[in-house]
Amino acid sequence: MKTIVHHSTLFYYDGPHVFEARDAIGGHYIAVMVGFEHPGAVANAVRGQGERCLVAGVAPDRLRLFRSGAIDLRSLLLESVPDEHYLATVDLAIDQLLRLEPLTTPLADCGFLPDPGFLLHDRPAEDHVLREARERNNFVIELVTEPPEAASRHRIRVNTLAGILNRVQALVKYAYRAVIGTDCHRQDDDILDVVVPASAGSFQVILEASNLPDLLGDNDLGRALPRVDLLFESTANADATLAVVKENRGHLAGAYLKLLRFLAQSGTGLRYSWAEPAFERPVTRSVSQVDAGRLVEVLSTVDRLASEKVTVEGTFERFNRGSGSWDLLTEEGRRTGKIASGGPSLDGLKVGGRYRFHCEEEIEEIDITGRESRTLYLNRHESV
Amino acid sequence: MTEPLYRESLPPGCPPDEAREIASSAAVFRLVRTHPPTADDFRSQRAEKPFQKFHGVSECHARGLSVFSRREDSQRALKLPALRGRSICRVQLESGAGSIQQTGRRSHHTWWPLAEFDILSRCTVEAA
Repeated sequence: MKTIVHHSTLFYYDGPHVFEARDAIGGHYIAVMVGFEHPGAVANAVRGQGERCLVAGVAPDRLRLFRSGAIDLRSLLLESVPDEHYLATVDLAIDQLLRLEPLTTPLADCGFLPDPGFLLHDRPAEDHVLREARERNNFVIELVTEPPEAASRHRIRVNTLAGILNRVQALVKYAYRAVIGTDCHRQDDDILDVVVPASAGSFQVILEASNLPDLLGDNDLGRALPRVDLLFESTANADATLAVVKENRGHLAGAYLKLLRFLAQSGTGLRYSWAEPAFERPVTRSVSQVDAGRLVEVLSTVDRLASEKVTVEGTFERFNRGSGSWDLLTEEGRRTGKIASGGPSLDGLKVGGRYRFHCEEEIEEIDITGRESRTLYLNRHESV
Repeated sequence: MTEPLYRESLPPGCPPDEAREIASSAAVFRLVRTHPPTADDFRSQRAEKPFQKFHGVSECHARGLSVFSRREDSQRALKLPALRGRSICRVQLESGAGSIQQTGRRSHHTWWPLAEFDILSRCTVEAA
């Protein structure tokens, strides 16, 4: 028997009502909740009886049209792949494998079709970034840059492109952490995927969130980006930007400064636009190369702009007097650091003893592409 | 200060920081099964589906109510087979109604009503 699995929710009301699904070989399906088989829906649910959904195999390009708001749900279903119409029952969780039972009556007569006019959006997206977000049903961000090498021909150096992509991704990661309070992924994971590598005109790259939205249709990167927007709100006004950056001291401020420095050194400005599928229009911000250089000068004068206070607790493993480096085995793994300038001596600490280290964490770029390395500088320690 | 008592028991940290406490008057729209509506029309999906696992939706959001801030969106939702036949109920929110957060698409919001907020007296069923 054929099975499908939930891929992303397109319409949510007290639970997913319209969602996309995929089969084992990547085939595309649209699913619409149709209610319970027997009357007494609530009682059924309380007893753990599953709710049914109508499922139809659909062509990916038709699905994109539905996502973008160009065709309604009824048309998508009626023009779906012939003989690919099913019913499935959602028992305990929507992300479990759903077993498909062939629909025994013709689709048009089954009574489960939605009424005409169910569109996902009020009007088609006029902006291409918003269109991409809707068609992909996900958060997207477009970057536009004009480095010197793009002046005469449509090209960009590998290191320039990699440098901008890595630094923008780092900025979004730290904005996420500042807003949500936790890391969105492991530190070295990618959170954005390049999906449209280059468009004609200036050098444009479109990136999509690596993660799908949640069942409500929200992607957490969409919560992080307003923090990034604040940093780019008034890039022509160094004092105003300095005030915003000071409010975001730590790794977010550090990532912002590194991006600006890279833009200034690469001789390019940057414009970005981002959107989520539900937006009416994308959010756009920019910084010119001249303003990036001016901001770097101002921000570089601020002491400890990019460091964050970090406390780690664990078993003391090793201390190298020559280099001043130490290892502490914590629940999250081994943390390695150095003694801060003017920091405490580690003489007297027992290997195998448990300690709490109060440190400043700094992030350094280890190559031109912006890859990062974190270093802890120990200021104070105590036994626990 | 005492913690506010919500209509349904909520997990710690719920409503989330992103939700705002309702402090002024505003209308939202909910689809109800019965006319006149009853308390059952304002049960969360967790209350309706106690055994369901809501992967991708936090327990906090599963214990909130879906409402729309735009009437057109509730009208559009009635086109879906599982919601067809329901009525649109305009609920007049005001200070003391609880907390609300924009979630998902269009004007969809998640609402966590306070226990003391009498929903039914502020609910008017409108013609679809």
